[in-house]
Amino acid sequence: MAFTMRAVKVPPNSASMAEARHRVFDFFRDACRAIPSIMEIYNLDDVVTPAQLRASISQQIRKNQGVSDPKVIDMLLFNGMEELNNITEHAKQRHHIIGQYVVGHKGLVQDLEKDQGSSEFLKKFYTSNY
Amino acid sequence: MCLVEVEKSPKPVASCAMPALPGMKIKTNTPIAKKAREGVMEFLLMNHPLDCPICDQGGECDLQDQSMAFGADRGRFTDMKRSVVDKNLGPLVKTVMTRCIQCTRCVRFASEVAGVQDLGMLGRGSGEEIGTYVGKLMTSELSGNVIDICPVGALTSKPFAFKARNWEMKGTETIDVTDAVGSNIRVDSRGPEVMRIVPRLNEDINEEWISDKTRFCYDGLKRQRLNDPMIRGPDGRFKAVTWRDAIAVVAEVLNQVKPEEITGVAGKLSDAESMMALKDFINKMGSDKVLCEGNGPNPPADIRSNYLMNTSIAGLEKADVFLLVGTQPRVEAAMVNARIQKTVRATQAKVGYIGPPADFNYDTWHLGTGPDTLVEIAEGRHPFCSILKSAKNPVIIAGAGLFEREDQGAVFSTIETVAKKFNVTRPDWNGLNVLLLHAAQAAALDLGLVANPTESVKSAKFLYLMGADDVNLDNLPADAFVVYQGHHGDKAVYRANVILPSSAFSEKEGTYENTEGCTQWTIPAVPTVGDARDDWKIVRALSEVAGAPLPYDSVAAVRSRISMVAPNLVRVDEREPSVISAEVKPPVKQQVSPAPFKAAVENFYMTDAITRASKIMAQCSATLLKK
Repeated sequence: MAFTMRAVKVPPNSASMAEARHRVFDFFRDACRAIPSIMEIYNLDDVVTPAQLRASISQQIRKNQGVSDPKVIDMLLFNGMEELNNITEHAKQRHHIIGQYVVGHKGLVQDLEKDQGSSEFLKKFYTSNY
Repeated sequence: MCLVEVEKSPKPVASCAMPALPGMKIKTNTPIAKKAREGVMEFLLMNHPLDCPICDQGGECDLQDQSMAFGADRGRFTDMKRSVVDKNLGPLVKTVMTRCIQCTRCVRFASEVAGVQDLGMLGRGSGEEIGTYVGKLMTSELSGNVIDICPVGALTSKPFAFKARNWEMKGTETIDVTDAVGSNIRVDSRGPEVMRIVPRLNEDINEEWISDKTRFCYDGLKRQRLNDPMIRGPDGRFKAVTWRDAIAVVAEVLNQVKPEEITGVAGKLSDAESMMALKDFINKMGSDKVLCEGNGPNPPADIRSNYLMNTSIAGLEKADVFLLVGTQPRVEAAMVNARIQKTVRATQAKVGYIGPPADFNYDTWHLGTGPDTLVEIAEGRHPFCSILKSAKNPVIIAGAGLFEREDQGAVFSTIETVAKKFNVTRPDWNGLNVLLLHAAQAAALDLGLVANPTESVKSAKFLYLMGADDVNLDNLPADAFVVYQGHHGDKAVYRANVILPSSAFSEKEGTYENTEGCTQWTIPAVPTVGDARDDWKIVRALSEVAGAPLPYDSVAAVRSRISMVAPNLVRVDEREPSVISAEVKPPVKQQVSPAPFKAAVENFYMTDAITRASKIMAQCSATLLKK
């Protein structure tokens, strides 16, 4: 992934919390602007809407809302930009996007959680007849 | 083939025709005997084509086996072989008459077992041919059996032609559910597909024959199948969903209706396990409206002898007078009819028949069409009474024409009067029989699925149809929620709100009780289709989601529950005769209505979801039914 590394310039560290915050919003805007092209590249129209992808991105950002060190925020931003670059340059495949941002990490195990508290018989019944 | 050498006899002797005498010395394995057999074999093969590689009988051919055992290793025949024009015997039996060796087994079968005079020998000498009379088809409900008895490949199965070889198929010994007889069959399958159905010997039930419906319904198992749970959307179209969602929807609706508005209907192909689960579940939800279709408004379920064939199917052979009331055994239970035909042929038993004009393959005396004839007999005013009076072992068979009648109780009590008057039930002979129509009926009555269909359907807000397609839904409230659990997209699916796919009889282990009270199991031959589940498992899963879990998780546990309700249903392959006679019944105050009996089966070939989906059965209905 050397070529992406070159493309992402490492900016100087944020001097204050306010600057770091400003950079986060800039990044979010960049990501949102990239959504239409991402939808087209990965052919996502039939599985997700732009609004859902925006929500997914903001959710990823909010996951780190407790971080108060500008240096750490800069590092996380760098990771985010790298990821965004990889996506827009088609360095990923469709199922990566779907798995990470459309279905979510819990996607495939959601059904199992619903069966909590039901009997062994019912769990087996849902999987197969035998 | 049966030639043996007898000492002091100049020629080999045909052992099948020669009585053994004292002091006779018989040699079966000498060079002379072998040479003689080789000669006979050579004559048989003289006009038999050597087309085993393209013959459907290849691998299960008697002539092939015989020639391997007794034949010469080379042929000496250099002339042209005889060829014979193929005959058209209808949509079931394919003929390649050049292969025929004129054994006339099919002719004997047609006239002696099937009781039709359709097949015969035409011509003499080398021009001898088996055939029907010009342009006629073989119209018997047992015609498929000529495929089994033909020792060569002259008569083979038309739907099975060129489909499979017998050594690539797995045979599963199971039973048939298309009628209440429970014929023993072997289902031959290749991978997930049922390739054909052949009979299995059971002298007490079907001997070695099966009806055409049993034999050829199997292509219905591959068409119109339900393979995913489905929910009807607001636009009226079905949408496939997961089991979890379908069951959750059903459970939610179930918890919103009042207990007395819940109705469960078991279908005519249901096994005892699923009916037990359904009854327990509906009862647990607080309703007692659970019934089995075909049993009529008030089934006589209190005493077992009131709904079973008490004489037993094999026992019919001892009878010398038959009185058929509202039943046409030929279309209702072809194997029972074959037994009656056998008895009539062997002992010249007399058969009296009360019911709509019907087609019999033995001599009958059509006494009348309605219950008034029955009353006349009960009062001793009918000429048939003298025949009944002189009979040693009289048999009365009441059939499906009675079940749907409102005055069923009165008709049955008239029949009992006749039985008492003419000594039909004695300690050593019980000739009072009920011939059931569907595979599920006997077990349903044993388990107590006896609610009144008209009232139960009329008051239902939640209707659970477990494979029930022929129940009358005209009076069902428009806002009722209908769950259809079954294996075929048949009639009732059009009204269903939710579809739960289940397995057919060839795919599940199920207990069935036949019309004479013999309990038998089906054995799964092929895997279930798509995402289908066994019937009792669906009910069990639904009960848990609805908050009233049934206390059984395995087939064994369901059967132990059944044994508490009807212990005879767990004693497999045994006929459980009923011990209490009808005498203890309270007197009936109902009046017999003069309405004539109706025919219960309109089309012999299409009676249930499987046969209605079958293409072969549709062809049969089109060509073989007598209009």
